[in-house]
Amino acid sequence: MGEVSKLLADYGPAFGQALLLTWKLTVLSFVPGFLLGIAVTVLRLLPLPPLRFVLTVYVEIFRNIPSVALLIFIVFALPDLNVLIDYEPSVILTLTLVCSAFTADYLRAGINTVGGGQVEAALSLGMRPIRVIWSVVLPQALRAVVQPMTSLLIALMLSTSLASQVPFPGRELTALVSKIATDSAAGIPAFAVAAAMYVATGLLIAWAGAALDKKARILR
Amino acid sequence: MSRPLEEALFGAPSPRARAVTRALSALTAGALLLLAAGVVLRFYSAGQLDARYWNFFAWPTTWAFLANGLLGTLKSAAMAAVIALAFGLVLLLGRLARLRLVRWPSIAVIEFLRGTPTLLLIYVCFLVLPQAGIKLSTYWMLTLPISLSTAAVVAEVYRAGVLAVPRGQANAARSLGMTKAQVFFYIVFPQALRYIVPALVAQLVIVVKDTTFGYVVTYGELMQNAKVLIANYHALVPVYLVVALLYCLVNYAISRASKRLGRPMH
Repeated sequence: MGEVSKLLADYGPAFGQALLLTWKLTVLSFVPGFLLGIAVTVLRLLPLPPLRFVLTVYVEIFRNIPSVALLIFIVFALPDLNVLIDYEPSVILTLTLVCSAFTADYLRAGINTVGGGQVEAALSLGMRPIRVIWSVVLPQALRAVVQPMTSLLIALMLSTSLASQVPFPGRELTALVSKIATDSAAGIPAFAVAAAMYVATGLLIAWAGAALDKKARILR
Repeated sequence: MSRPLEEALFGAPSPRARAVTRALSALTAGALLLLAAGVVLRFYSAGQLDARYWNFFAWPTTWAFLANGLLGTLKSAAMAAVIALAFGLVLLLGRLARLRLVRWPSIAVIEFLRGTPTLLLIYVCFLVLPQAGIKLSTYWMLTLPISLSTAAVVAEVYRAGVLAVPRGQANAARSLGMTKAQVFFYIVFPQALRYIVPALVAQLVIVVKDTTFGYVVTYGELMQNAKVLIANYHALVPVYLVVALLYCLVNYAISRASKRLGRPMH
């Protein structure tokens, strides 16, 4: 314990900043990733085969590519194609793309829980297909995917650790631990503090997700 | 599920709607082709289509080197998967134990391993353990953290499976005079496994993805070997594209296998 308190005296503010940066990266990649995922899901429903094909390829690529490989491609290979993206936006872009692919995949499963009878009923009321998607299918699908989206958010929060792979101006938790471990012998306590922060954040998200799921779930 | 939702939505279009759809399809196809052409042009104008960036892919040594990296990836992933399956069972047994002295620490270990990024655990094995005098080989510096964090996830997957087995099964087996251990290992766990095989296989995708951190500890897996190739030929874009494609193919195959395994269970 003494080691931890000494560590917090030396690096306390740094840990606070690192935690905030981890949260910031999580939110900044989850929100656009989620919205992009919804857009991909809706566009994939349209009866346009070329678009469907390309979007399916998009989802499969970003679902299956390791995030590190994607980040390294964006940071180190894209400049060779004269596309220069700063480090922080690169991390956010990587996580956004991955998040959108998983969101699209989960939402598709959520959409499958909506009965075809509802769609037929809505159509027979004279609604246009786009309107049916927007006001009948999507709201129910979104309620059905609260739990997988919670897991995705936690996974995304843990994935922000890959920001430590690029020379980032600010340090998030993993980068901070690796710096402390290289600079001093306080590796173990630093790791313990960072791990506690990650676990606490994850539990917080899980708790909020469970509460939301209880409210939103449609019992069938 | 009778028929896909798309069909219910757009199933019986009028001739006019069909014509509109066809025109829009052609239009999107054109737009997408234009986008693809733009990407190719970008490659061309950046000089990335030059033969010197691509010709080494015609040499068998390049592919042998990449295959070697893929083999390293699979070696690490397979070992991590085996350890995770076994250690996950241990964690599950601890999690289900009646004794609080066993159950609470198990829950703590599961939550801790599940809630910390694998990369952080790798850094601990890479930077912190050597300070404490524990020296691991690069293979274990990569494989051990992945095994541990996967084991915690696997334990939770196991638990979901065990909870899905109807209680009557365990009660019936108990009333036949089986011991608790017999009930678990002969009756409950085999049935639980059947429910969760797809989820376990899907977890393998995450294991393969995690092995990309091999280059952090310079273990010779696909990503690390890609870096070596790049250092030799200065061809970042082509090598990373090929490697990304390889990862996608391997993981896509695993995902497909998992979906296929999931089908007959329902």
